[in-house]
Amino acid sequence: MNSNSSFRLRLLLGSVLWTLGLLALAHMIFRAIFIRPHFVFRSADPIIIGLALLFAISGLMAVRSGLIPFRRLRQRLLDVRDGRLQTVTGSYPNEVQPLVDDLNSLLEQRDRAVREAQAKAGDLAHGLKTPLAIIAQEAEPLEREGHTELAVSIRVQIERMRRQIEYQLAQARAAATGNTPGVRSSIKESAVGLSRTLHRLYADRAFSIEIEASGEHFVRVQREDLDEILGNLLDNACKWAKTRVVLSSQIANCELLMVVDDDGPGIAPSLRESVLQRGVRADETAPGSGLGLAIVRRLAELYRGSISLEQSSMGGLRATVRLPVAG
Amino acid sequence: MRILVAEDEPLLAKQLATALSEAHHVVDCALDGAEADFLATTEAYDAIVLDLGLPKLDGLTLLRRWRDAGVVIPILVLTARGSWHEKVQGIDTGADDYLSKPFRMEEVLARLRALIRRASGHAHPEMRCGAVALDPRLARVTLNDVPVSLTGHEFRVLSYLMHHRGRVVSQAELTEHIYAQSFDRDSNTVEVFIARLRRKLGSTFIRTVRGLGYRIDAQS
Repeated sequence: MNSNSSFRLRLLLGSVLWTLGLLALAHMIFRAIFIRPHFVFRSADPIIIGLALLFAISGLMAVRSGLIPFRRLRQRLLDVRDGRLQTVTGSYPNEVQPLVDDLNSLLEQRDRAVREAQAKAGDLAHGLKTPLAIIAQEAEPLEREGHTELAVSIRVQIERMRRQIEYQLAQARAAATGNTPGVRSSIKESAVGLSRTLHRLYADRAFSIEIEASGEHFVRVQREDLDEILGNLLDNACKWAKTRVVLSSQIANCELLMVVDDDGPGIAPSLRESVLQRGVRADETAPGSGLGLAIVRRLAELYRGSISLEQSSMGGLRATVRLPVAG
Repeated sequence: MRILVAEDEPLLAKQLATALSEAHHVVDCALDGAEADFLATTEAYDAIVLDLGLPKLDGLTLLRRWRDAGVVIPILVLTARGSWHEKVQGIDTGADDYLSKPFRMEEVLARLRALIRRASGHAHPEMRCGAVALDPRLARVTLNDVPVSLTGHEFRVLSYLMHHRGRVVSQAELTEHIYAQSFDRDSNTVEVFIARLRRKLGSTFIRTVRGLGYRIDAQS
């Protein structure tokens, strides 16, 4: 009988065997107790006792093996929760299979809803950013015509709107996906892609990004969000580094620590908290800086992680982000 | 330099074209992906500004198609999609640079200059050939450190030759890179520009390679 056949049949078979075994044993015990004075050990008795035990034990085994699919199901559910699997795999007894199918379609429905939410958030951002770009360009001639104050005011407000959009977009995306089961992303894979991109974006600057993260380290974070977290961390480091940026990773207490070091000027201890606050910049001269770390903090928090800033042994800033490990 | 702007929002496309023209580039605009694909594969451009959210054929598909076909024109992606995941995707698909909207026009101009300069293999923003120096950032040309006044066409001819110094540039190639697609081209006018440049910069600075075209020597 294969393991996927009817659960009911197995239970029935198990209980019939168990009952038969018990009946035979009860018969022997009954005889031993009530007919004791005349009890004579008949030659067939050991065979009956042996058969009774065999029946009872194989009955137990049949029930046990009937329950194996449930243990497997539980293991698969844990795998989905921890991000090792996207859906519940394998085939199950006829009575359980519908339940598994329903679970899988629920997971799929959730996935679809998440993708739709992402698409909508993207559409909204796209819809706002192009008009913003046009307004920004329309305002440029104002400065040449002498309306400097107006031009600056428009520029500042556009920058504020841009920051709001970036921040809320990153957060909306992560909030929609943060608790999705089946999520698992490789630190190293993400870092290698980002390093390629950053070298291209800063093509005129000579610096190196050293990736010392292990290929075995996975976090329970959506790939897009891990890219956003690592991208902002590395971008910030590249912006300030003189020659080197180093990314390393380690596991401690079921958390994955991603550490980004640079050899730039660092951030004064008194300013570290404020750069993590939304929309605050530690240095107004580098456009867009500061917001990146605020986004990292928000995303890390949505995944029940955290970020901390300190002095790097390389002289610049050390940013440490903690995220939940995926097995 | 000749630049293709692929942007579906007409107003933004016009703003980009105006700013690029003011920086002495010639500009063609494509308002959808199919038009951009046609222009990029049939015309000669020195750089492409590409929006990713184009109708008919989206920007990523275009990028992949062009790179697969061996198109090596530097491409600056200019898009509303500003997440790091999308940036990695854009660069890995073949973009040379990535800028998200809203943007500062100076930033677009600076990055295009850098892309064009790197594509022609030059490390320094200012290009110098003997006594003549050309600074694309300021669209300024000097002879023995004295500024020389050039018209837009003259500047483009000189800029193209200096970006490709040490190599012979044919008259047809020059024509392709200094006029927009819609312009009625006449290769005789190139001779006129060369003659004017020689008057302003010295008669031996631009050499004529008989039957092939023009050349500025790398060490002249």
